[in-house]
Amino acid sequence: MAALIEARGLTKTYRLGQVDVQALRGADVDVARGEFVAIIGPSGSGKSTLMHLLGCLDTPTAGRYVLDGEEVGGLHGKRLAAVRNRKVGFVFQTFNLMPRLSIEENVALPLKYRGGIARRERRARAVAGLEALGLGHRIGHRPEELSGGERQRVAIARALVGGPAILMADEPTGNLDSKAGAEVMRTFEALHAAGNTVILVTHDPNVAARAERTIEMADGRIVA
Amino acid sequence: MTLLESILTGLDEARRHLGQTLLALAGVVLGTASIVTVLALFGGQAQLTQQYLDEVGGAGTLIAGDAPRSLAPTARELASERLTYRDARYLRARSTTLEALAPGWELNLPYRANGRDFSGQVAGAVPDYARINAIRPMAGRWLSDLDLETRSRVMVMGWKYADSLFDDAASAVGRLVNIGGKQFTVVGVMEREVFRFASWEDNALEYRNERAYIPLSTAFSQFAQTDNLSFMTLKAKPGMVEQAEDEVRALLYARHGVEDFELRPSGSFGGGGESGQFLLLFNYIFLVVGAISLFTGGIVIANILLASVVERVRDFGTRMALGATPGGVFTHVLAEALVVTVLGGIVGLAIGAGLTGTVARVMQLPAAVTPGIATLALGTSVVVGLAAGLYPAVRAGRLSPVEALRYG
Ligand SMILES: Nc1ncnc2c1ncn2[C@@H]1O[C@H](COP(=O)(O)OP(=O)(O)OP(=O)(O)O)[C@@H](O)[C@H]1O
Ligand SMILES: [Mg+2]
Repeated sequence: MAALIEARGLTKTYRLGQVDVQALRGADVDVARGEFVAIIGPSGSGKSTLMHLLGCLDTPTAGRYVLDGEEVGGLHGKRLAAVRNRKVGFVFQTFNLMPRLSIEENVALPLKYRGGIARRERRARAVAGLEALGLGHRIGHRPEELSGGERQRVAIARALVGGPAILMADEPTGNLDSKAGAEVMRTFEALHAAGNTVILVTHDPNVAARAERTIEMADGRIVA
Repeated sequence: MTLLESILTGLDEARRHLGQTLLALAGVVLGTASIVTVLALFGGQAQLTQQYLDEVGGAGTLIAGDAPRSLAPTARELASERLTYRDARYLRARSTTLEALAPGWELNLPYRANGRDFSGQVAGAVPDYARINAIRPMAGRWLSDLDLETRSRVMVMGWKYADSLFDDAASAVGRLVNIGGKQFTVVGVMEREVFRFASWEDNALEYRNERAYIPLSTAFSQFAQTDNLSFMTLKAKPGMVEQAEDEVRALLYARHGVEDFELRPSGSFGGGGESGQFLLLFNYIFLVVGAISLFTGGIVIANILLASVVERVRDFGTRMALGATPGGVFTHVLAEALVVTVLGGIVGLAIGAGLTGTVARVMQLPAAVTPGIATLALGTSVVVGLAAGLYPAVRAGRLSPVEALRYG
């Protein structure tokens, strides 16, 4: 299978005042198209940092990164934003929905930022995405009117709406009770089964067990 | 994200933060309303001043007079005869830029008529004076060329004198009036000249009603030993005021050998008076209030915006994670500021127009909100919006997505 992610020696150093924090100390990551990968490890081991780099939210201090055949390790600002918009769909632990937008407006946001897509079409695609995840009856509602599990599925619909090459989730079940968490995990499994590439970060061994492969981190390094 | 979408988002945000938006609006509304009112009243004042200038001879009229004597006059100054009737004849013969000119003379003399005594102004004038100053007799006639040639003892009275000396102004025609011990026949009474800068103000042109005109030649022969003039009214050909001023200055200088005369545009002295002062003060107060309100409104907007940016840092982080560019976030915040201020500007414009109408009606002043004023007011609110939004927008645009997502 063609490599979707090919990262070599990814390093991230944060500067906190006078102190350098080495969040990531040279990580090599390969992910094939269609894989379902879980990143695990103790708190502070660099899981989120790695995911942010792989998701083009941040630029590595050092290292090479090829995403979907495109060298993106050195991109910043507007160019990085464009890559993020086209290739990556993010799901966050805290859902991060815009409280004042309806759920379909939330889902349509990535299309809005892509530009060149008419409002009507954006809405149609958002509605279709919500329906595909079984949220058709919630259209027109605000996020606060939904349960946690429903909100996270709205966030997943939003991550998918632009047809990204990869779906990334940082602790997507971290804020959910076990029932809602299981439901969200079933959604990820279904998406994987449909051919999507999924990477998720988790603390939860049960969640990690659902993935095809795990990447284990410790102290800024990949240990297994 | 396109500009239009940023603006739509801004509108959306303004609507969704209605409470804060209204607070910010208040400042901008007050500021814009004040500025609109002031500008409209200024415009009305300018219009009044123009009317006054037209009334006293119109733009394009110059007044020449003697300059004050130096304390230590030079030989040339002592040798000069000052402004004379001969100067006027010379200018009339040589000037290419003047349409008309009227030499004038004035003196305070004792009047006696109809059993009353008082002291008042007597003006020696020529027929052209009435034409240049656009004044007409209401009864009888104005001075004629024949009066000048024959040095006749005729008089045209200003309305006020005629009105206060005789039962009614028009009945003065044909009566005898003694001035400075000489008998004159009243041949005409001038129309009353009235100009008020505001309804409660005194007549700014009353001084013109409080005098009597006699032929200039008669004035010289009866009351003066010389042909020295008190002033000369000069009407430039259309569009040639500046050339006329230069030419007259040069011609007079050539005759006098010294600049012992003054040239000034008619109506540049005296006009406005107390009412002008009062309105100017009034306007300044409004302008300062307007500027302060706009400034305060701008600061309030900037603060609210900054607070709402801080409040939404994670939202902006999320938006960036979904593909918003730094520029897009910058425009987004700026658009919010613009939407608020332009809205405030429009409401302020409407209130200002209403206020102007009320002030104009109550105080009976000419004032109108012109398209220019409306444009300026809205332009100002756009500028305030841009200024207020700039800092919060820069701050938001500079957020790093990861930092923003970790915030709070
Ligand atoms: N923006 C930042 N500035 C400074 N230090 C940071 C920043 N982001 C992460 N770090 C530090 O880098 C290290 C790795 O952080 P990271 O968030 O990647 O860990 P994590 O594995 O996701 O932890 P958790 O399971 O608690 O989410 C930590 O020590 C963290 O404090
Ligand atoms: Mg983390």
